[in-house]
Amino acid sequence: MAVFDTPEEAFGALRPVCVQLTKTQTVENVEHLQAQLQAVSDSALQELQQYILFPLRFTLKTPGPKRERLIQSVVECLTFVLSSTCVKEQVLLQELFSEISACLYSPKSQKPAAVSEELKLAVIQGLSTLMHSAYGDILLAFYEPSILPRLGFAVSLLLDLAEQEKSKQIKIAALKCLQVLLFQCDCQDHPRSLDELEQKQLGDLFASFLPGISMALARVITGDFKQGHGIIVSSLKTFYKTVSFIMADEQLERISKVQPKPAVEHRVAELMVHREAKWVKNTSDKLTILIKKIIECVSGHPHWKVRLALIELVEALLLKCSQSLVGSAGPLLKALVGLVNDESPEVQAQCSKVLRHFADQKVVVGNRAFADILSENLHSLATSLPRLMSSQDDQGKFSTLSLLLGYLKLLGPRVNFVLNSVTHLQRLSKALIQVLELDVTDIKVVEERCWNSGPLGASETAATQPRSPMQRRYFRFFTDERLFLLLQQVCQLLGFYGDVYLLIDHFMELYRESVVYRKQAAMILNELVAGAAGLEVENLHENHIKTSTEELREIVTSILEEYTSQENWYLTTCIESEEVGEELTMKQSGLQAITSGAHTCQVTSFPAFSKPSPTICSMNSNIWQICIQLEGIGRFAYALGKDFRLLLMTALYPVLEKAGDQTLLISQAATSAMMDICHTCGYYSLQHLINQNSDYLVNGISLNLRHLSLHPHTPKVLEVMLWNSDASLLPLVADVVQDVLATLDQFYDKRAASFVGVLHALLAALEEQSDPPKVDESDTGPDVEPPLPVQIQIATDVMERCIHMLSDKNLKIRLKVLDVLNLCVVVLQSHKNQLLPLAHRAWPPLVHRLTNDDPLVVLRAFKVLRTLGGKCGDFLRSRFCKDILPKLAGSLVTQAPVSARAGPVYSHTLAFKLQLAVLQGLGPLCERLDLGDSDLNKVADACLIYLSAKQPMKLQEAARRVFLHLMKVDPDSTWFLLNELYCPEQLTPPHPSLHPVQLRGTMGQGNPYAANVLCLLQELQ
Amino acid sequence: MEKMTAPPPNMAASPLPPPDPCFVLRGAQSAVHALHFFGGAQGQVHPLLLSGSLSGLVHIWSLQTRRAVATLDGHGGQCVTWLQTLPQGRQLLSQGRDLKLCLWDLAEGRNTVVDSVPLESMGFCRSSILAGGQERWMLAMPGRGNDEVQILEMPSKTSVCTLKPEADAKPGMPMCLELWQADSSPRPLLLAGYEDGSVALWDVSERKVCSRVACHTEPVMGFDFDSQKARGVSGSAEKALAVWSLDEQQALQMCRTHELTNPGIADVKIRPDRKILATAGWDHRVRVFHWRTMKPLAVLSFHSATIHCVAFATDGLLAAGSGDQRISIWSLYPISTDSSTPLLGHTEGGELPEVPGPWSLHFLHKAGFLS
Repeated sequence: MAVFDTPEEAFGALRPVCVQLTKTQTVENVEHLQAQLQAVSDSALQELQQYILFPLRFTLKTPGPKRERLIQSVVECLTFVLSSTCVKEQVLLQELFSEISACLYSPKSQKPAAVSEELKLAVIQGLSTLMHSAYGDILLAFYEPSILPRLGFAVSLLLDLAEQEKSKQIKIAALKCLQVLLFQCDCQDHPRSLDELEQKQLGDLFASFLPGISMALARVITGDFKQGHGIIVSSLKTFYKTVSFIMADEQLERISKVQPKPAVEHRVAELMVHREAKWVKNTSDKLTILIKKIIECVSGHPHWKVRLALIELVEALLLKCSQSLVGSAGPLLKALVGLVNDESPEVQAQCSKVLRHFADQKVVVGNRAFADILSENLHSLATSLPRLMSSQDDQGKFSTLSLLLGYLKLLGPRVNFVLNSVTHLQRLSKALIQVLELDVTDIKVVEERCWNSGPLGASETAATQPRSPMQRRYFRFFTDERLFLLLQQVCQLLGFYGDVYLLIDHFMELYRESVVYRKQAAMILNELVAGAAGLEVENLHENHIKTSTEELREIVTSILEEYTSQENWYLTTCIESEEVGEELTMKQSGLQAITSGAHTCQVTSFPAFSKPSPTICSMNSNIWQICIQLEGIGRFAYALGKDFRLLLMTALYPVLEKAGDQTLLISQAATSAMMDICHTCGYYSLQHLINQNSDYLVNGISLNLRHLSLHPHTPKVLEVMLWNSDASLLPLVADVVQDVLATLDQFYDKRAASFVGVLHALLAALEEQSDPPKVDESDTGPDVEPPLPVQIQIATDVMERCIHMLSDKNLKIRLKVLDVLNLCVVVLQSHKNQLLPLAHRAWPPLVHRLTNDDPLVVLRAFKVLRTLGGKCGDFLRSRFCKDILPKLAGSLVTQAPVSARAGPVYSHTLAFKLQLAVLQGLGPLCERLDLGDSDLNKVADACLIYLSAKQPMKLQEAARRVFLHLMKVDPDSTWFLLNELYCPEQLTPPHPSLHPVQLRGTMGQGNPYAANVLCLLQELQ
Repeated sequence: MEKMTAPPPNMAASPLPPPDPCFVLRGAQSAVHALHFFGGAQGQVHPLLLSGSLSGLVHIWSLQTRRAVATLDGHGGQCVTWLQTLPQGRQLLSQGRDLKLCLWDLAEGRNTVVDSVPLESMGFCRSSILAGGQERWMLAMPGRGNDEVQILEMPSKTSVCTLKPEADAKPGMPMCLELWQADSSPRPLLLAGYEDGSVALWDVSERKVCSRVACHTEPVMGFDFDSQKARGVSGSAEKALAVWSLDEQQALQMCRTHELTNPGIADVKIRPDRKILATAGWDHRVRVFHWRTMKPLAVLSFHSATIHCVAFATDGLLAAGSGDQRISIWSLYPISTDSSTPLLGHTEGGELPEVPGPWSLHFLHKAGFLS
């Protein structure tokens, strides 16, 4: 709150201090004045402006040496006054301008006086404030030719400060002040817009300083990186504002050929510049050199704000000086384009914005010169691309590819001029193929397997998840992941703007030409299609016509055909293939593409001892090829959207085939391709996708089953399909199941393993369908037996085959067959007429499995027996007790002394595992079969010995479990039996009239059965 | 489901795979007894295939998506034996063993019965139509009497006449019919195959038999007639195909018979370009012959039950319907890569290769044609 509102009051208060200062010029007196000024209102201050300024200016003008501190305080005080008042007279403005700038003038040198930083700052601040305090028309009048020397002095002073000073604060302030002087200040107090005449007037004036300003600023900009980004940003801004103002096409157009006679004295006239054509040409040449230097230096500046400022520079110069600075257009465009993929999102966004602006304004396409420059740039880049890709490091590659990307973005549809040149297309494709070469030495790729059968993973989230992430792959010539993203974008843009037929043909040819190119070509093809569909492409060219869906579908169909053809889809990916036997015929006919010969394996970085064999490399390469092609199918689905549904009849089968592949990477790639399909074609899960398209799959399966040697994976496809669908498709697969069984009958020896997998999946599906559909009996007459439900028929047929295969030589197959058999029994449980005869026939081989096979098989066979026991107990009980129990009990008894004596190694022997399996299997079975007393006793007798502490722990445990089951069947006799073995307590009769009971079990400490019996008896209570 | 009676193909004898169907349509849910291609000519790129099943349903299949797009249920669960579309409009005629001919309106996604004609014969005889572009068309169907054929004017259902063989002829029931019109004369003619194995040519307007020829010793199960070459081919329960011709005096003459490996032909169709013909065999196989020379070209084995019917599309696609509930679609000796090219005329005068297709020798051998 001002204390002195009126000029009179203020005058009264200020007069003594002003007089005092005029008399004695000390810092204290200046400070005194400034303190008083604080209490004066702005309006009063304006009235008294000249009066107050007088002692201050007087102090500056007094001849003789002065202390810096005093000058500083005077300038600060002046600045304070000016900041609260307006300068309304031109003379005052000119004088103050000179007086303030002179504060830093050292008569001895050309450079600013060696004064304190504080003073420098104060002077800069003072000048800036002065220019702001001047009235608008006064200010414009200030910029007349006669001011040139004084203005020039100030400008060079400020440039010097900006360039030479150590203090960042001063540098920044000097640059700011320079902007103010050059009418570039964007604060509110400055005149907003200048009319044409005023612009020309200022332009004429400033043109004199252009060489000095541009060179000094260029030096600052290209100076030390460490000087801080703020200074560079500020210098860049001043540079382009100044250049674009003085060299503006708009102004230069209006410059007359002959210089008007200036109405100034000769000395000043000499300083004046006439901006005619020759001058423009000259200046432009020099500026081009500076601009190139600046771009070179700044485009890789680590601070994003600097790169952002560079974009502003490019924008301003290309928009305003497209004619005067045509020589700089090349480097400017290159700089802009190079930043299109900047790591900073702000820079990227700004760059895209500018590019879009250019495209809207047709700055490039509408300007032949620019378009030619760009095409030329792209031509030469394409030419040198192969060399650059092989010689540059990741960072270098990154900027080269960014540049390529930028050219493509900016040229848009005009990119075809370059593509239509055969040599350039070849260069471009050569470079892409070269840089995309994969590193196929990683042995893990071949080794990682997946053996699980069952539903495919991650099925529930299909609908909610966006496009599945890409598999991590390793490239031979770069490690930076961003490079791959860039390459993807390059290919996408090519697909988007380029002649897509030309490109697809070209890369298809490379794909076919050599296995060395195949993977890269496939990656490129995938992205070309994605690009052609406009996926992830930001279009800068409004009237560009996208590839039509119809065309796209045609293209995708032909690529798909190539990808899934016999020689590109069925590649060797593992050695220990179980189907090897049959594949031989295929290799002979040359269909199998074993690529080891053609593919050179790069192993340079591997130490000699771990060098993978070339076959591993070629398998690895094959795996990647399949993965890339699978990924492509996912991309194509995205490209076509719902239209991809029409391709499912051919595309889904091969993908599902790979989903069942044993190589983890392939199976994953196939699964994610299917997820992609789900996502774009509107299926909410893999199951849904498979169910809805099972007719297409079944078609493929049934036709391929006819040529099993050509399509050895067909059973696998059916298996995967069955695991991933529900019983609703059973009617559909019924005929295929018959085909499968017929084929199995032909190839028991060779293909049992893959077919057992199918049967397992099939029965699992049947089992799931808990509620069999009722057969409509109205159709059939009273004499005719109703036809069996389809799933019963299938289960019957399958169980029949299982009986044959129960004695297969291969352990894995026997195990699987037992699983299938088990499921058959479950499915057939309500159809005794079918089940019993089959069970009867299965009995002999089953007995064999139980009594004379691997422990794993024994256990699995017990499981089947248990299931059978639940379904046809009577049938089984007598058979079991007659055929099996004696043998098992016998072997347990004879083997017991051996295991009791054995050492720790025994648990690794087959004998041990067999004992364990029998003990584990007996208990539940006895319970399930509801055995009679004598048979239970047989079991108990054989197992009792295993309750001895001398037996291995695991056998004791298993034996205990047997008794737990027996207890459930007959608790009393079990209790008795155990007590006979070991009697823990004296039994006292409940009534004295009863005889005391003496059981045989001794109570002594040495009884080896004590612990286990005790434990069991506790359970009984 | 029936087991294949034939031994599996002997792969060792030939490294080349047997021909496969392009694709197989599943989901008819019962034996397929009638097939008919529809569309494709009127600017539609993808024709439809209609199938009639034992359980009385008509399925409309899209050959583009290879899926049933609609199911028509109009025969009360009784076998559909014949399907035919009318040249104008999207109308379909279906004949069922429920003694009914239904006329369906299929335009604009509708599928409703707009009219029906009662049948008075319980036989297996398939009907026939003669329809130009006009409003009125002619329908031939088995008549009330055991050996009669009834001619109606449609859509008014006015009876035109009944064709009854002379008292002493005794050809038995009509088994198959074909109405046609010679280029030279507007008089409608009817070819009829009979239970006694003979084929007769009727002049419909005069209600008299012009000519009759004994082709088979068993009932004629199916025939097709090439009116341009004035030649026909018929199959029966026996082990032979009969080729017969019609001279300018409208007299039928036996040309030749062609011995088959297995007896029983349920249907015979000549492809619209008149280059090849296909037979539906009780032995689960489709046999393909060169029409001019009757040289056997291929034996198509895929089905696991009797084949009841075969049909050709205008673009040459072949469909076979079987008791195994499946419809197999085959593409043999494609007529033209460009399906829009008018079929007739384009291939006129062209010759099929002597030994067409690498697999044919093997199959001719296997089918016993070369022994």
